[in-house]
Amino acid sequence: MLRPSSLPRLLLLVLGLLLALAGHPAHAQTLLQMTSAVTAAGEGNSFPVNAPLATVSLPDDWANSRPGFDGAVWYRGRFKPPADLGSDDLLALYIEHVCSNYQVQLNGQVVASGGRMTEPLTHNCNHPQLVTLPGALLQAEINTLDIQVAGHPLAEVGARQRAGGLSEVVIGPQSQLANWHARRTALQVTLPQAVGATLLLMGGFMFVLGFINRSESQLAYFGALSVGWALLDIRLWLRTVPVPHITAEFLLLAMLSFITWAAVQFLLRYASTRLRTVDAALPVQCALVPLSVMVAGPGKLHLVANIWYLVMTAEVVVAAGWYLWRERPTKSVWLMGPLLAATAVAGVIEFIAQRSETRPLAAHLAALVTPIIFVVVGLRLMQQQGRARQTVEQDKVLLEQRVREATEEIERNFRQLSELRVEQVTERERKRIAADLHDDLGAKLLTIVHTSDNERISTLAREALEEMRLSVRGLTGKAVRLGDALGDWRAEVVSRLGQAGIDCEWSAPEDLPQRLSARAYVQTTRILREATSNIIKHSNASQCTVSCSITDGDLLFVVQDNGDGIASMEVDGRLDRGHGLASMKNRAKQLQGQCLVESGPGYGTVIRLTVPLDRATEGS
Amino acid sequence: MKTILLLEDLPEIRVWLRKLVLQVFPGAHISESSRVHDAIDLASAVKFDLALIDLGLPDGSGVDVVAKLREVQPDAQSVVVSIHDDDEHLFPALQAGAFGYILKEQARELITEQLQRISQGEPPLSPSIARRVMAYFSAKAKPNPNAGLHAMPSVNLTDRESEVLLRVAKGYTLPEIGVQLGLSRHTIADYVKQIYRKLNVSSRAEAALEAQRLGLFR
Repeated sequence: MLRPSSLPRLLLLVLGLLLALAGHPAHAQTLLQMTSAVTAAGEGNSFPVNAPLATVSLPDDWANSRPGFDGAVWYRGRFKPPADLGSDDLLALYIEHVCSNYQVQLNGQVVASGGRMTEPLTHNCNHPQLVTLPGALLQAEINTLDIQVAGHPLAEVGARQRAGGLSEVVIGPQSQLANWHARRTALQVTLPQAVGATLLLMGGFMFVLGFINRSESQLAYFGALSVGWALLDIRLWLRTVPVPHITAEFLLLAMLSFITWAAVQFLLRYASTRLRTVDAALPVQCALVPLSVMVAGPGKLHLVANIWYLVMTAEVVVAAGWYLWRERPTKSVWLMGPLLAATAVAGVIEFIAQRSETRPLAAHLAALVTPIIFVVVGLRLMQQQGRARQTVEQDKVLLEQRVREATEEIERNFRQLSELRVEQVTERERKRIAADLHDDLGAKLLTIVHTSDNERISTLAREALEEMRLSVRGLTGKAVRLGDALGDWRAEVVSRLGQAGIDCEWSAPEDLPQRLSARAYVQTTRILREATSNIIKHSNASQCTVSCSITDGDLLFVVQDNGDGIASMEVDGRLDRGHGLASMKNRAKQLQGQCLVESGPGYGTVIRLTVPLDRATEGS
Repeated sequence: MKTILLLEDLPEIRVWLRKLVLQVFPGAHISESSRVHDAIDLASAVKFDLALIDLGLPDGSGVDVVAKLREVQPDAQSVVVSIHDDDEHLFPALQAGAFGYILKEQARELITEQLQRISQGEPPLSPSIARRVMAYFSAKAKPNPNAGLHAMPSVNLTDRESEVLLRVAKGYTLPEIGVQLGLSRHTIADYVKQIYRKLNVSSRAEAALEAQRLGLFR
């Protein structure tokens, strides 16, 4: 990527190269310089000896020597071939500037023609001419050189260099003059052609870019400016335009107004300015320019064109000033400022050149520098576009990352929400089932409890009811603090035993932070309830000790009574007399714990219940 | 002679309860009802000494009858007779003014004893209910930002009452607590009665405050 600081360096390099190319021919001894000529107007094929003759000095500008003349003029000069011309060299004639067209006769023989001598004339304004003078036609002493020049009066052309006239004519060795000719051709034709082609390509690209992306309208205007400027240089490619010269001048001026439109808008838009009046005025100007030319007529074309040049230049200068003023805080000014200044200098040189009789080298340089500046500005615009695109890409990556994060969070929240929702629904459903159980099953069991004549059945129904209630609690219940659970168990065991007239000694640690899952709570309650029932119903005990402790993460209950004990067959589980020992053991197993019963007839019973807390505990 | 309201939707149970009540309070005059609506009408019409109120009824909750009785005849003693033993169901009834609760499926002798105790001013109190009451009063003790100017004179438990509640929550029976604190069984029962009363008063004050806040009273 091109850094801004490298752009001015590039510009300097290009300028250096141009100056190297522009080296003016040094006036060596062997060169014959024609500084004056006999001249006569004449459309014919040979020098009109009968016409009124006059002597003019070269360069000859028709605007001075024959104002308003339109047609062809003959120049005649005589020369003696240089004696020191090498035997292997040819003699050649070099004309630096002749616009529009010419033909050369040596000693009455045509040796060169630039193209059409009648309308539409061939234009050679930018093309220096090199004519080889054939040795066969050369006389040893005096040779007559006739040059016929066709041209238009200054008033009918837009720019002075396109008016009729003839520059200095130099005769010398072809090897030397060919060298000059090549250099000047490169500077005045080849380089502008190359730059023009670049400008056309780049401008087209920019225009498309700006046209697609309306927010970057400065690109479209810059593209139009570039393409317009490149089209101006079409004259370098097409020397013979198949339209009368006045039409060509007309088109040229129209094109300039279009270029001005593009240039002013580019500068304004580049400074992020949009003025409705300017938007409307510039197209109107584009229409006014050709209209004014048509109204003024071909005779006043030069005047009208020059007025328009001033107006348009002023517009561009104002726009450039506005741009620099608006963008003064930005770094862009450090590049655009010098570029605009260089363009202004080129404009000033062109203005001065318009007032001089010949086309100085500086004018050619100035004409070449302007499109080169356009190329540099184009590169700068592309660089900015590239940067912007890069930034957009980075932003996009960043945005995508944000979106990804946000999506993840939404998904996470959604997951949590649905989990919560599932929990809520489950909770509600559990409550509904619990309510149904109570209302329906509970009511029926209750009725059995209180209406059955059979004591056994009503006891069974009561137990079933208690079981149902515990089940429901296991279904709906939340985790219970172990300390609270111990309180519940103590209250139940101690009061039941107390009602049965059995002394109970209960010992348990206090302030236990652990929590018990509803299931573990319910199962432990059942086991303790069963154990208590056994003592009350079967043991005939008078005293009971319940001690609870926590060892190695296990909740350990030891329930000991001083009753009759249980037969070993029942302890082993081979016999069941309603002690429910098997179900107690089963429940303990379900909690990953165990329930051991130690008993023997006459020795009382010891029940050791172990409930592992790490599984039964939820949270802390 | 006592007048007693009996609110129970299951006919067999109602018959059974009636027998049981007559056994405890011979010659009592019993008004039976199976619906909340009828019971509320009765509460306005008849003066009761005791009301046995089931909670889950076809046309609503017995809690409303408890509240109505507490409102129109504060001297009537409401006792919840329910199949539910969990504080989720019982606590609202106690807040509404119920003075104790009896689990229906218990043996006749147990219920008889409990009824007698309640009528003598010794309501039962389970550890889970005690914990619930403790949680209720400790939440109230925290500064309430919404109370503002409408703050009612707050009802608080005495240290002794809190002590009794704490011990009940730990699973100690009321006689045990009496021994531990060196108090008579009768005094402990008075504390429990007082706790029930304060729960009701505080809840009612809270409800009134809430109603005022919602603009029900002007």
